[in-house]
Amino acid sequence: MSIYDSILLGLSLVANIEAFLSLFIGIIVGVIGGAIPGLSATMAVALALPFTFAMAPINGILLLLGVYKGGIFGGSIPAILIKTPGTPASSATILDGYPMAEKGEAGRALGMALWASCTADVVSNLALIIFAGWLASFALNFGPPEFFALILFSLTIIAGVSGDSLLRGALSAIAGLLLATVGLDLVYGTNRFTFGDPNLMGGLNFIAVLIGLFAMPEVIAMAWDPTGHLGKARSLGKAWVTFADYKRCFKSIIRGSLIGVFLGSIPGIGAAPSAFLSYSEARRTSKNKANFGKGEIEGVAAAEAGNNGVAGATLIPLLALGVPGDVITAIIIGAFMIHGLQPGPMMFVLNVDIIYGLFMGLIISSVLLFFVGSVAIRGFRFVADIPKRILMPAVLILCIYGVFAVNNNIFDVGVMFAMGWLGYAMLRARIPAAPFLIAFILGPLLEDNFRQSTLMSGGDFTIFLRGPITWFFWALTIVTCIAIVRGAGRARKAQKM
Amino acid sequence: MAFDDLNRRLGVFALAFAGFLVVFGIPNWVYSPSNIQKLILSPLFWPYVLAGLLALVGLGLLFVRAKPDPETEVHPSGRAGWRRLVSLAVIMVLTMLLLPRLGMVWTSMLAFVATAGMLRTRYPKAAIICAIIMPLVLYAFFAHVAGVAIPQGYYVRLP
Repeated sequence: MSIYDSILLGLSLVANIEAFLSLFIGIIVGVIGGAIPGLSATMAVALALPFTFAMAPINGILLLLGVYKGGIFGGSIPAILIKTPGTPASSATILDGYPMAEKGEAGRALGMALWASCTADVVSNLALIIFAGWLASFALNFGPPEFFALILFSLTIIAGVSGDSLLRGALSAIAGLLLATVGLDLVYGTNRFTFGDPNLMGGLNFIAVLIGLFAMPEVIAMAWDPTGHLGKARSLGKAWVTFADYKRCFKSIIRGSLIGVFLGSIPGIGAAPSAFLSYSEARRTSKNKANFGKGEIEGVAAAEAGNNGVAGATLIPLLALGVPGDVITAIIIGAFMIHGLQPGPMMFVLNVDIIYGLFMGLIISSVLLFFVGSVAIRGFRFVADIPKRILMPAVLILCIYGVFAVNNNIFDVGVMFAMGWLGYAMLRARIPAAPFLIAFILGPLLEDNFRQSTLMSGGDFTIFLRGPITWFFWALTIVTCIAIVRGAGRARKAQKM
Repeated sequence: MAFDDLNRRLGVFALAFAGFLVVFGIPNWVYSPSNIQKLILSPLFWPYVLAGLLALVGLGLLFVRAKPDPETEVHPSGRAGWRRLVSLAVIMVLTMLLLPRLGMVWTSMLAFVATAGMLRTRYPKAAIICAIIMPLVLYAFFAHVAGVAIPQGYYVRLP
C-alpha cells in the first residue's frame, strides 16, 4: 500500500462531522479542565475516557487527544492570571506570565501562550508524523545509566531559574531533592523520613507541593500586606500580542518545541522538565536575559513551547512501540485497548488507516486549539478583574478542592498548607521556588536510575560512561556547567566595574 | 536585611541542617536492610550525598560574597502583619480540623469568610455571596461530574 492510499484511508475516517466534533469537544473540555487548578489534564483525560467507550475508535481517541492538548494549554491560563498552574506542565509559565499579569499585560501573556502553544503543537505533530519510528527506536536504547546522565543534564536548568543567586538556587534545589526522598525506598521498600505515618509512605503528593509552593505564598503574602497590590495594574490589559512579539520569540518557540519533541519522545520525562529546560535555554541565549523572571514575553513563549512540544511527541513511543510516554498517554493506551487496538509496530501494518487518521486529526487539532484558546482567554479574562481581597480567599478554596481531588486525601491539603508556609519563607529569604520544584520532580527519577545503574554494575561507576548516549549527555552537562560558571564570573566582574 | 547578611544566615542554617541530618536525621529516620554490603547500594547513600551537598552550598553561602539585589525589601507591615499571618495560620489549622467533621463545603464557606474578613475586603457582601456559591459550585462539579468523594461531615449532608 502506497503512502497516498494510507492518507486516503485515514482521510476517510476523519473527514466527517463526528470526528471534528469529537476533537472540538475534547479541546474545550481539556482547556476548561486544564484551567481549573488541581483538576489537571491527566484527570480531565481520565474523566473523558468512559465517554469514549460507545464511540467509534478514531472518534474516541481523537476526543481524548483533544482533551490532552487543550489541557496542556488550559493550564497556562490560571498560571498567568492567578499564579496557580492548572497543570504541572505550566509551572514554568508562572515565572514570567504572572509578572506580566501584575504589569497589566495578562492579555498579551495569554495571547503569546496560545500562539507558542499552537506553534509547538504543529512542530510536535509534524515530528510525530516524520520521526515516529526513528525516534522511538532511539529512545529504546535508553537504560538507567543513560536516563541518569540525561536527568543530571536536565538539572543544569536550575541555573537558568535561580534568579540572581546561583547558590540560593542550589540551596532550593537540594531542599527539593531532600523532600523527594520522603517515602518508601525505591529499591528496598524501607521507610525514609516517614515517621511511621502511612500518608508519607507514598511520598508527598506532587500537586500538593506544586500548588502549595506557588499559589499559597501569594495568599500568605496578601495576609502580610493586604493593601500592597493597590495601585498596581492587574487586568487583562489593552495590549495584545503582536506579530512583532511572535517574530521576536520565534527562535525560542522553535527551540522549545524541539526540546519538547526530544524529551517527549523519551518515556517518563514529562512536560514540566521540558518547559523549564526550554525556559532556561531561552533565558541563556536571549538578548533580554536580565528581564527574565520580571515579565519577559519570551519567557512565556519558551515555557509554553516547551510543554506543548511534548504533547505530540509522547505519542511517538505510544504508537511506534506501544510504550506510554507519560501518565496521560498511559490512559490513552487504555482507550486503544478498549477498542481492540494494540499500539505498537504491528499497528502500522494492521491499522494504518487509524494511524493516518490520527495524524490528520492531530494536525487539525492545532488549528482548533487556536480558535478554542482565543475564546477561552476572553472567557477567563474576568479572573484578572476580580478584587484581589476576594480573589485570594477564592484561590485558597479552589486549591483546597483541587488538591483534595487528586487523591481524595485530606492529608494532601495539610501538605499544601505546609508547603505554602515554606514557599512564603523562601519568598521572604529570596530563595527561588522553581529550582525546588524541578529538583522535586527530577529527584526520584535521578535517584531511581542511579540506584538501578549501581545495582546493575554491582557498584561499579564506569557503567555511567558505558556508551555514546551517556558520553553525549556528560559532555553536554560539563559544557553547560562551564558556561554557567563563566557566566557567573562575568556577571561578578561586570558588577565590580 | 543586607544581602550578605541574609546569605550568611542561610549558610549557617544550611550547615546546621546538614549536620543535623548526618548526625541524627538520617541514622534515625532512614532505614536500611542490614545485609547490604556496600553503602552505595543502600537507601542511606542518597540522603547522605544530599546532606553533603547541602553542607557545601552552606559553605558557599557563607564565604562567597553576594551581589546586591536590585529589588526592594518586602513591604514591612509590622505587628499588624504578624497578627494577620498568625490569623491565617489559625484559619488553616482550623480548616484541617474541621474538614472531616463539618465537611468540605461548610468548612470552605467559613474559611472563605474568615480569610476575606481578615484581609478586610472592601466588598463584604460580594465576599459572602462568593463564599456561599463557590464551594457549592465546586462541590457540584467535583462530586457529580468528576466523581470525587468530597467529605460531607457529620451534620448537614448535601445530595
